[in-house]
Amino acid sequence: MNLDKKRRPIGKTIFILTMIFFYLPIFYVVVFSFNSSKSLTSFTGFSMQWYQKMLQANGMMTSLWVTIFVAIIATLISTFIGTITAIGLSQSRKSIRMIVKQMNDFPILNPEIVTAISMMILFVTFSINKGMFTLVLAHIAFCIPYVVLSIMPKLSSLDSNLAEAALDLGATPWQAMRKVIVPQIAPGIFAGALIAFTMSFDDFVISYFATGGGIKNLSIMVYTMSKRINPSINAISTIVILVIAVGLILVNVVPVLGRKLEKKNGEYAGINKKIKYSAIAFATAFVVFIGSFSFISLGGGEGKYKGQTLHIYNWGEYMGEDVIPTFEKYTGAKVIMDNFDSNEQMYIKIVNGEKYDVLVPSDYMIERLIKENRIQKLDKSKITAFDNILDSVKNLPYDPNNDYSVPYFWGNVGIVYDKTKVDVKDLEREGFNIFRDDKYKGETYLYDSERDSFMMALKALGYSMNTSNQKELDEAYKWLLDSVNKTHAEIVTDEIIDNMAQGRKALGIVYSGDAVYIMQENENMGFYVPESGTNVWSDAMVIPKDADNKELAYEFMNFVSDYESAMSNSSFVGYTSSNKEVFDELSSKDGMFAEIGAYIPRENHPNDEVFNYNEKTKKIMSELWSKVKLSASRNSKK
Amino acid sequence: MKSMSRLAIPYIIWGALMIFLPMLLIVIYSITKEGNGILSIAFTFEHYKKFFTDPDFLVILFRSLVIAVKTTILCLIIGYPIGYYISRSKPSIQNTLVLLVTVPMWINMLVRTYAWIGILSDGGLAQQSLKLLGFDPSTLLYTEGAVILGMVYNFLPFMVLQINSALAKMDNSLLEASADLGADNKMTFMKVTLPLSVPGILSGISLVFLPCVSSFFIPKMLGGGKYMMIGNVIENQFINVGEWAFGSTIAVIIALVMMISMYAVRNLEKRQSY
Repeated sequence: MNLDKKRRPIGKTIFILTMIFFYLPIFYVVVFSFNSSKSLTSFTGFSMQWYQKMLQANGMMTSLWVTIFVAIIATLISTFIGTITAIGLSQSRKSIRMIVKQMNDFPILNPEIVTAISMMILFVTFSINKGMFTLVLAHIAFCIPYVVLSIMPKLSSLDSNLAEAALDLGATPWQAMRKVIVPQIAPGIFAGALIAFTMSFDDFVISYFATGGGIKNLSIMVYTMSKRINPSINAISTIVILVIAVGLILVNVVPVLGRKLEKKNGEYAGINKKIKYSAIAFATAFVVFIGSFSFISLGGGEGKYKGQTLHIYNWGEYMGEDVIPTFEKYTGAKVIMDNFDSNEQMYIKIVNGEKYDVLVPSDYMIERLIKENRIQKLDKSKITAFDNILDSVKNLPYDPNNDYSVPYFWGNVGIVYDKTKVDVKDLEREGFNIFRDDKYKGETYLYDSERDSFMMALKALGYSMNTSNQKELDEAYKWLLDSVNKTHAEIVTDEIIDNMAQGRKALGIVYSGDAVYIMQENENMGFYVPESGTNVWSDAMVIPKDADNKELAYEFMNFVSDYESAMSNSSFVGYTSSNKEVFDELSSKDGMFAEIGAYIPRENHPNDEVFNYNEKTKKIMSELWSKVKLSASRNSKK
Repeated sequence: MKSMSRLAIPYIIWGALMIFLPMLLIVIYSITKEGNGILSIAFTFEHYKKFFTDPDFLVILFRSLVIAVKTTILCLIIGYPIGYYISRSKPSIQNTLVLLVTVPMWINMLVRTYAWIGILSDGGLAQQSLKLLGFDPSTLLYTEGAVILGMVYNFLPFMVLQINSALAKMDNSLLEASADLGADNKMTFMKVTLPLSVPGILSGISLVFLPCVSSFFIPKMLGGGKYMMIGNVIENQFINVGEWAFGSTIAVIIALVMMISMYAVRNLEKRQSY
């Protein structure tokens, strides 16, 4: 053995370094879950606020519960099917065995994302409503192959005469399986179940495509929330780490202790089993404990709509923290809210049969939804909201009489800039062209949206942002290419908000509402809307044609448009309210946003425009934009 | 015995509905004209043509393969010594060491990847440490390096475990025999240890390479909006663009590429194990 001695120190060093590499991020998550500020980079002090926020947040604890529930059900069913399949296969003809083995390998060899979309297409094609059921079904489907794989080798080393003997002695096949075969292959079954549980618990890709109806597991929750800094993610992650740690201790340490005890006492039977049972009991208790936490956050009080559910599909980070809980208390209904980050994402879900009661799309998308007959005319007698709404957002071209929509937020698009790094004269002289000024190389963010990027380029070139002229679009494309090549812009989505708030770069394209938030967080930041014109947009609430709960939807629209909710929404999010009273108050001299110009969108500027819906140009823009992104990613390689 | 073989029937039916049918649907979508209706079928190969004639998609596919290769090589370089170290450790602590490698895998991948955002951010832990070591800390997040780091972080344990289990099976007396016959350490490693661990290396490679190529949340979280890999393109087609036919086409292509390479690796594996 001495020949290994020399190699050991190197091996040991690499091992220790790798362990640091493995555990550092985990440690990091736990530490920052107790951070007193929002920062992910500097620890400012101890606080439990993110745990509190996690408990209050709509659906965070529920997602943990969904994850555990799905993992348990999927493990039980896939272990059962996997076991009987493996046993059946071990007794079948070789040709059948080979075919089924090939089939079983398929999902394992197939890239996960392909399996995921194949499931989604299956559910959509046969109009199976996506939700908990499809989620569990998909999880069972990808777990079974691993169970089968871990049991098969145990069976092939099993003496097949055993089962035969049992049958000869008068056992039914079922009895032979239960009493003779299963005990022999128990370690394989256990290993298979463990893999199934891990896979299901950890899964993101397949769940992401297979779920719907507001059912989210932890992975999906983290994925959708990770664009904005939100230390509650660290808090819930810490809970997960705790669950895993407890589970692993139970599975690994307890049996070892048991064995040691056995050795000491010399009694073999009994103790180990007892410890195993108590471990299982403890694990169950733990799960129930976590589960009960999630039920606290389920809400739903006494009220007219007790027992009913409202499904809302809204932008992420678009509501005050207390609005939904208050609405739930007031109506007694339960609210399930899903978030999207682009109008197109919302549209695709709606087209594919996902059911919601209220949507909050933007102007041009509402125009499209009306044209395609996907949303319903509002019964105006049920709406009290319109009295409170600003004239500037009423009766806009996308819905001339507000027959379909109730305005929510509005604003424009502009440049957020660091006053200490950017010369305002440059901005005034160049407008959007500042994004082609190599003076600011490495200092710019663009927003990952073809619509906003082309708006910027077209406006900079002096064209209408609603142009369908191919020559103008090509010019805009060249403008954008030039921009990313000259300034090496980062192309991001909502990450821009936190990054600009922390002053990481000098310039960025943002929605006015996000600029409000950034300026609140960082007083060095300013907001500029170029004279060449910009996009004036508004988002509004609509009810889809196939909404299940219209009454509750009306109730919600009125509730959200009321002073209190509108105030909470606007002051929390920073976007401009459509409620007249709230708008006046927040933008007044003593208002919260008095100092922040971005809160008051520029009105009646001759160069400003509202987006029209045009499918053809949208497609062209989308293709050109992906080329711009590709070019940008080449720059970053270095 | 016949009656027992019937136990496999439920899974055969299940497989037809949940494995075969969905894949068939993807293939059908990929050769169907625009529009997501399955009822109005008009076949076409335009989507395949689009993929193979548009340099952008080929560039992204190529990039995905390159990143996966880089990740796999890194995992092998780091993973091999670790697997070796574990397999040569005292039997009493081997299980603990394996457990140490396994535990991170139990914690949600998204959660672990999210943690890196904070570490790699400007002014974050990674940059500060690099500064202390005297390096120039330029941007770390949203680069190819960050994407590869995230991949290695997520998939390295698979490599370590595979190599370790191959090496743990190795008979120690082989090493002693080799030493007795006069081979030095290096030669023993090259002639005995390494060849015996090839099956582990191969299955480790397939376990790292495969998920890397089609991964889409790691590039999205650590690579930012512009760092697209083929998985992001598929996701984008289904979630944001809504061209399911074209998305299915890319899925079919990537599935074929992966399956062919995996079968190749598996054959190598089989040949090795004889």
